[in-house]
Amino acid sequence: MISVTNLKKSYKGINAVDVESLTINRGEVIGLVGNNGAGKTTFFRLLLDLIRTDEGEVRSKGELITGTESWKNYTAAYIDEGFLIDYLTPEEYFYFVGKLHQLGKPAVDEFLEKYKPFFDDAILQKGKYIRDFSKGNQFKIGIVAALLGNPELLILDEPFANLDPTTQLRLVEMIKEMAIQQQMCIIVSSHDINQVSEVSSRILLMEKGKIIRDIEGGDTAYEALVEYFKVR
Amino acid sequence: MLGTFLSHQWLNFWRSRNSGKSLVLQIVLGLFYFLIFLEIAGTGILLPFILQEEFPDRNPITLFTSYIVYYFMIGLVLRFQMQELPSLSIQPYLTKNIPRATMLKFLNVRSLVHVINFMPLFVFTPFTIVVIIPAYGTLAGICFLVAMFALVVNNHFLNMFIKRKTVNNTAWLFGMLLVLAGLKALDYFKVVPMEQLSAKLFTGLLHRPAFALVAVLLAIASFTLNNQYLKNHLYIEELVRDTKLKNSTAYSFLNRFGEVGNMMALDLKLIFRNKRPRSLVIISGVFLLYGFIFYPQYLESQSYSALFLFALLITGLFISNYGQFLFAWQSGHFDGLMTYNFNMQQYIKAKFSLFFVVCTLQVLIASLYGIMSWKLIPIQFAAYLYSVGVNSFVTIYAATYHYKHLDLSKSASMNFQGIGAIQWLQSLAISFGPAVLFYVLNRFIGFWTAVLGISGLGLAGLIFHQQLISWLAAQFHLRKHKILEGFRDK
Repeated sequence: MISVTNLKKSYKGINAVDVESLTINRGEVIGLVGNNGAGKTTFFRLLLDLIRTDEGEVRSKGELITGTESWKNYTAAYIDEGFLIDYLTPEEYFYFVGKLHQLGKPAVDEFLEKYKPFFDDAILQKGKYIRDFSKGNQFKIGIVAALLGNPELLILDEPFANLDPTTQLRLVEMIKEMAIQQQMCIIVSSHDINQVSEVSSRILLMEKGKIIRDIEGGDTAYEALVEYFKVR
Repeated sequence: MLGTFLSHQWLNFWRSRNSGKSLVLQIVLGLFYFLIFLEIAGTGILLPFILQEEFPDRNPITLFTSYIVYYFMIGLVLRFQMQELPSLSIQPYLTKNIPRATMLKFLNVRSLVHVINFMPLFVFTPFTIVVIIPAYGTLAGICFLVAMFALVVNNHFLNMFIKRKTVNNTAWLFGMLLVLAGLKALDYFKVVPMEQLSAKLFTGLLHRPAFALVAVLLAIASFTLNNQYLKNHLYIEELVRDTKLKNSTAYSFLNRFGEVGNMMALDLKLIFRNKRPRSLVIISGVFLLYGFIFYPQYLESQSYSALFLFALLITGLFISNYGQFLFAWQSGHFDGLMTYNFNMQQYIKAKFSLFFVVCTLQVLIASLYGIMSWKLIPIQFAAYLYSVGVNSFVTIYAATYHYKHLDLSKSASMNFQGIGAIQWLQSLAISFGPAVLFYVLNRFIGFWTAVLGISGLGLAGLIFHQQLISWLAAQFHLRKHKILEGFRDK
């Protein structure tokens, strides 16, 4: 799905991202962990062609992502509120994004019906603009909108941080299910090592821009992460 | 404590990302403000002489005072549009160990620091010194000045109070304008002689200066009213109120126009739901009326180039007003926009279509000026074609060089956030460029050559719009990362 070679980005002489080689396949759930400043968000932005690479390249389905736009057909992401159009109501935003994927209003409504429990009655028909929702609810809107086009690649930056416990658990289930049933490739970053080892099939540990460990998810991953993050 | 607050505000002003960057821009802005002040002060000093020159048979004091009531009423409307509530700036302090009274004091003092409160100083002071004091004596003059300032302060806090109380600002604004127009009409048809009443009231004040106290009491009353209200509502959610249910089906007719329609609806919502773009667009609408002021005199002198310049403004102001921040309006969510499923051609086509539709509407309405002289119609159409065929593309091209974040929620008047050298050059290029061309063609060949030549350029742009849009998309991709980086930098 995604291949990264020799990817480098530095700010003021300090390496923000420095990944020699990385391949991510369909059906994988990648958990990206690392302390603040490890380069997780910068890495995400590079994957989405939102910042210029200093060196190296990112290919999606074999195609360079810089200079092309076809990857937008099957890629969706939610990194922060900058991914929402804050002067729209949630409904308007969903219809807007749906339309970009050739989904009409009925199709979007049908899609939203599935996420009713996820929204927990706090999002739809509230008569509010997105800018007036709380951060957690904005996150819900962003995640569901990202799923609208049935993406093959989904990138979420710290999805667990702003969600309530019920929604966190729901999201974990959703991610696992989508990866298996739709062979979706999902990349999430998180500071919650418990949650991340639960959801991921593969965990990448970042430190100072480098991927220093690439391990399989699950209980052993959790122990390895605890070992790493313990006060050193 | 008050000093600390003010120094924080001062730091906030100078350290905000947009102000610190370019020294040249700040000097230009400084000069601009200075010129405005100079002009106002000049008007104030020259006013007595102008009045004597223009109306030698009337007493300047009666004339001056007869407009004071209107002055304060128009002032209130202007304030309503221009002044912002300085409420959110105290948010970080609310939970700190600071007495509420201090915070209130800060809010009130801070709000007084505004151009609109200093302007009257330059109008009333010179007039009082030059005209009133020689006629009525120093005491009356000073009392008159005191009364005027008290009324300014009263207006200020009254406006703050109304703004805090109201939810629907636009309705209030139009209500105030209606009342103002109604009073003027009553005055005009001599039902209620407002001007005479005003003159009587304020010359009366000159005869009995002690009545200045009434104005002072008014100011104190409105201050107390405002202060009391603030005291009881010093909670963030109550300082910023907006309870209206938001409509989700607006502009759905645009859905018929496919993806470009989808994105145009987005632009329209952006304009009407955010303060700054909304006020800029309202200005371009109001500009349609400027023909009544400018056209007659230039029609009389048959200066077609000047008419063309105004036609350009009237038919194309939307392009320069909205276009000066074309992409930057969306800087808050540009990251997301660049990952959504559409390509740049579609995006740019949507912007071009918006220009096209709005300008077409403007030129159709402006065609009513044809009643003044049929010659205005070809001139306006030439200006229109040039605006949509050339200026729209120039504007989009310039937008690919615009790297500054923009905050949509701030008011547009006197707001220079996000304005750089590009914007100045751009507005010069798209208005004076074609006007000079028109002048040259009109002067040396003839009126119709000028009209057809300008129209031809515009038509060429319209015919090749596909190619131009593709080229602009390629230009955008060259600077995409730079634009994104700038927009993220709030």
